[in-house]
Amino acid sequence: MIAELGHLLAFFALAAAAGQSVLGLTSGGETVRRLAVASGMFSLLAMITLIICFVRLDFSVALVAENSHTLKPLIYRIAGAWGNHEGSMLLWCLVMAGYGAAAGLFMQEGKLRDRALGVQGLLTTASFAYLLFVSSPFTRLIDAPFDGGGMNPLLQDPAVALHPPMLYLGYVGMSFVFSLAASGLINGQIDREWAKRTRPWALFAWSSLTIGIALGAIWAYYELGWGGWWFWDPVENASFMPWLVGAALIHSLIVTEKRGGMSAWTVFLAVLAFVLALLGTFLVRSGVMTSVHAFATDPTRGIVLLVGLGLAGGAALALFAWRAPMLKPGPEFDPVSREGALVLNNLFLSVAAALVLVGTVTPMILQWLGDTGMISSEAASLSIGEPYFQLTLAPMVAILLLFMPLAQAATWRKAEVSPLMKWLAPAAVAAVVAALIAMAMGGWGLWLGFGVLVGVWVVFGVGFDVMRRVGPGGAGRFFRMPLTVWGMAIAHLGIGIFVIGATVETATRTERTFPLKPGEIAEMGGWTYEFLGVSSVDGPNYTALRADIKVTHGGSTEIIQPETRSFPLARTSTTEVAIRKTLTGDVYVALGDQVRDVPGSWRIRIAQHPLIDWVFGGAGLIAIGGFLSLAARIRARAPVTTPEEATASGESPAVPASTPA
Amino acid sequence: MIAVVVALLLQAAAAVDQPLPDPALEARAQSLMRELRCTVCENEPVSQSTADMAVDARRKIRQLVGEGQSDGQVRDFFVERYGDYVSFRPSNWLLWLFPFVLLVGAGAYLALRGFGRRHRELAPVPDDRNNESA
Repeated sequence: MIAELGHLLAFFALAAAAGQSVLGLTSGGETVRRLAVASGMFSLLAMITLIICFVRLDFSVALVAENSHTLKPLIYRIAGAWGNHEGSMLLWCLVMAGYGAAAGLFMQEGKLRDRALGVQGLLTTASFAYLLFVSSPFTRLIDAPFDGGGMNPLLQDPAVALHPPMLYLGYVGMSFVFSLAASGLINGQIDREWAKRTRPWALFAWSSLTIGIALGAIWAYYELGWGGWWFWDPVENASFMPWLVGAALIHSLIVTEKRGGMSAWTVFLAVLAFVLALLGTFLVRSGVMTSVHAFATDPTRGIVLLVGLGLAGGAALALFAWRAPMLKPGPEFDPVSREGALVLNNLFLSVAAALVLVGTVTPMILQWLGDTGMISSEAASLSIGEPYFQLTLAPMVAILLLFMPLAQAATWRKAEVSPLMKWLAPAAVAAVVAALIAMAMGGWGLWLGFGVLVGVWVVFGVGFDVMRRVGPGGAGRFFRMPLTVWGMAIAHLGIGIFVIGATVETATRTERTFPLKPGEIAEMGGWTYEFLGVSSVDGPNYTALRADIKVTHGGSTEIIQPETRSFPLARTSTTEVAIRKTLTGDVYVALGDQVRDVPGSWRIRIAQHPLIDWVFGGAGLIAIGGFLSLAARIRARAPVTTPEEATASGESPAVPASTPA
Repeated sequence: MIAVVVALLLQAAAAVDQPLPDPALEARAQSLMRELRCTVCENEPVSQSTADMAVDARRKIRQLVGEGQSDGQVRDFFVERYGDYVSFRPSNWLLWLFPFVLLVGAGAYLALRGFGRRHRELAPVPDDRNNESA
């Protein structure tokens, strides 16, 4: 009965969302709010029923039979509910309806909320219609099997259990930012108030997206067994594009909120972030490419997604074209100012997003043209990967980051650069010294020196900017800094730490595969590895080969145990690497195959990943910074002052007032 | 006789992923392995894969680098045999140029729109609440 209940609840959620969209777009008020909350509650209950089906291993539900198994541990039974196409579509619907419910609960009432709930209701209705009529997770089987088909063992992992919900909070969260943009356009109100009320949602979605992407990278690092954390795979790029546009958006929203400027561009970015999220979903789900995420390749899904993408994007652009002429430009500013710096930020981030987009879709488009015979098959096969993205993106990011500490310290409308030099000169010196030290230690690679230079400049630049703000007041003033400053400083610090970690890791990681027999010793980078042998171990739903390796370094000895697990049901195997953490990085050992024709000899792959935790820690700080900024928004509900008022209250009369354009 | 065969086999096994003696050459070989694609895998460079194609490719890369060939020559060797698909570094110069053209073009557009015009008459907005956030 429980699956039928879930089905029914999903229908209720659809009905509530449909009502929410009609009323939200035409009238508004308390009923819309209640419908949005109801839709969210029904979606949550539907998700819970699906989870119950998975936990109780109800194999009469087709989805459970296909994706679960009696031997699967409890946490992965729960995560299994969204580790497949239909279940993840329900998660998509839940997050979408959930944003509507949250807006109903937390947003102050008014036309902005009503129309946004209307648009969100429309998107939620469409998602639920797709779920229920095309890919229902609650379909029953007439003959229930005694056991299920299991789940992709690669996905049986704690990081990847949380990866989809976090990623969806980000990805799908962009839908509510889109709805707010559409609402503002419908109302003809894209102004400071709009930006102030939109920014918390954008911050929440973007920070969640950051965590979702980082979890995926962490998972790739220790689960795929080769120690990489980012490979410019189309799946990764699909989430990176909305991230870049979202990063541009949360910065341009500041200009719109504080100065009333860049409003047309800001609303365009808000639309674009969601369109790119839809495009990413299309790339991942339609089967135009193969990966661990392509649960099943089904062309109809692709067509539905493409139509949805076209409708949402097209309607928003039409709205935008209709309303754009009435959007007023903000007050004038000098190029050397906070506004100017944020324009530069948006220029670089948008070009970066465009470059990732082109690099990702070009091979797919060429392949499609080749398949349809429009171009020759030689011209159609092309790969774009790490070297391209690194070499084109790195200089852009570097220029952007060189400006970042200056941008942080710049004042609105016009900034004086010379007083900042006192603070930033030591940061520049520290950056050069650190780059030289890193190069001396890491073999004089230009790439390494360049990355460390930029990263250390950012870290010290942020530090000195904080010192400048605190002034001579000492620790007390430091802790009384506004939350917004904390948020910005921590996120920007995270960027610096990430850049240092990412360059040092990619430029100086070493890896080597040793064929070893029991008793043999391998040495690498001051560590000794004595291979003791391989034994067979049984897990809940797999059997493992476990190697015992005695690691010695600097007088301390310990046994590490990398495994390869084979899952008989799924007929696949996974590697469980052994990672030994040190202050300077990870030592990473994976058990490979048995060497052909040499009995007792195994391939042991040993790698050193310096500063790898800086990569993930940096990403974590970026997300924490985003959430702190959001907390500051929620705490401070001060009324918005118009630029004229701010000017009138603060400006010295000796300076001629600017004329707002 | 048996000893010879075993010795040969051991040598063959050791030849798999035997790094080049010169660390500089080995580093170059490894970076080439990261940018050449394992053509029988889904989306992996030859550096990661355990497929036969990747194992052979790694051996070939080390051999060519060891013989003193340049990175470009090694890349050409693979592109000649497997086509452009094998290299993650596309050879099409338009692709390389476009991000920078876009950046310069968008920058020029902004400058023409007046974003670059100095406003000497403007004064900074004083350091009030509005200035705290970023």
